[in-house]
Amino acid sequence: MEQVPSPVGQQVSQQVSRPAGQPVSLPMPTVGPASMGVLGAHAPKPIKVVLNWGRRYSLWVFNFGLACCAIEFIAASMGRHDFIRLGVIPFAPGPRQADLMVVSGTVTDKMAPAIRRLYDQMPEPKYVISFGACSNSGGPYWDSYSVTKGVDQIVPVDVYVPGCPPRPEALLHGIIRLQEQIAAERLSTQKLKGRYAGTRVGSAGDLRRPLLRRGAKPGEGGR
Amino acid sequence: MRVTDVRDVPFGEWSSTVLSHREDGYAYFDWLTAVDETDREGDDAGFDVVCHLLDTRVPGALRSVLLRTRVTGGLPVPSLTGIFRGAAWHERETHEMFGIDFDGFDDGSGLGLRPLLLPDGFEGTPLRKSFVLAARASKAWPGAKEPGEGHDSARAPGRRRVQAPGVPGPEWGPR
Repeated sequence: MEQVPSPVGQQVSQQVSRPAGQPVSLPMPTVGPASMGVLGAHAPKPIKVVLNWGRRYSLWVFNFGLACCAIEFIAASMGRHDFIRLGVIPFAPGPRQADLMVVSGTVTDKMAPAIRRLYDQMPEPKYVISFGACSNSGGPYWDSYSVTKGVDQIVPVDVYVPGCPPRPEALLHGIIRLQEQIAAERLSTQKLKGRYAGTRVGSAGDLRRPLLRRGAKPGEGGR
Repeated sequence: MRVTDVRDVPFGEWSSTVLSHREDGYAYFDWLTAVDETDREGDDAGFDVVCHLLDTRVPGALRSVLLRTRVTGGLPVPSLTGIFRGAAWHERETHEMFGIDFDGFDDGSGLGLRPLLLPDGFEGTPLRKSFVLAARASKAWPGAKEPGEGHDSARAPGRRRVQAPGVPGPEWGPR
């Protein structure tokens, strides 16, 4: 985060004074390697407690619902079980706004690259809950030709929730376990690298594409 | 829905029979797939290509017919895409799952028979009984699959051993 200069105010004043119809030249965001900044690594312990406390109770969740377990996840987000009271906020607009990915359902080999890519797009620190027997190990489809034998083959998993499908209470229990892990963690660049070693190939900043431009000719943009 | 009317069709009359059924009112194409019957004894071992058609003309009195033909010797099956355009997806799926070729396949794209559901680079035809599952080859079944297996029983099962499709044979070695 500290690598990014803040040209926001400058950019706004440029935009205001620019004539209408001209294309906007936006700076390409630059993101360094996975790092939580100097605060996560060298802050004194009370500050880390406060940081972890803030992190554990605002988990924006990205539901990767692939099969029937997604119904149980939705039930856990609704009024009766209501995991928002634990600080888990469902329906993040996309993976780039999410802290936690809940893989609920059968992961197939064809879906696996999409899961990997969306996981890589999530900003650090990121957590994964594997919800249900299928995403834990393949479940009843362990010998299938098309089912991945557990989502932990493609992304690192923090908490496994067993069941076929698990009850919503099991997801609540898994969330509390994850929050206990977050409360105990120390986030530093070395820790993050060690944690993602072997499975991690890209950071959220690596997976990006150039800004889309509407229309080839200047003047067509913005219509 | 329960299929009650099953009609066996000679292989050579496959597409003409489907066409005549369409003109008789069975104008709704439901699905098409194949059944692996290569372990049948006799000369007619091969694949059953089945096609389910519905007659929806009379409300409340739905009629259905299941047409079935036996494909022996790996012959290409006449394609139904000229009769029902919607058969293209079903024939592509049957092609990739069973390795059956369809003669005269045309879905309007000019790309011919190509995989529909399987991931890129997948090798093999997974719904054939001869397809060996990688998970079965690398790991034994965790529980007992035979009656009397898994505990000390004086009475060993005398009946035929269960041979599930996809399980590699003894020539693959111990697991």
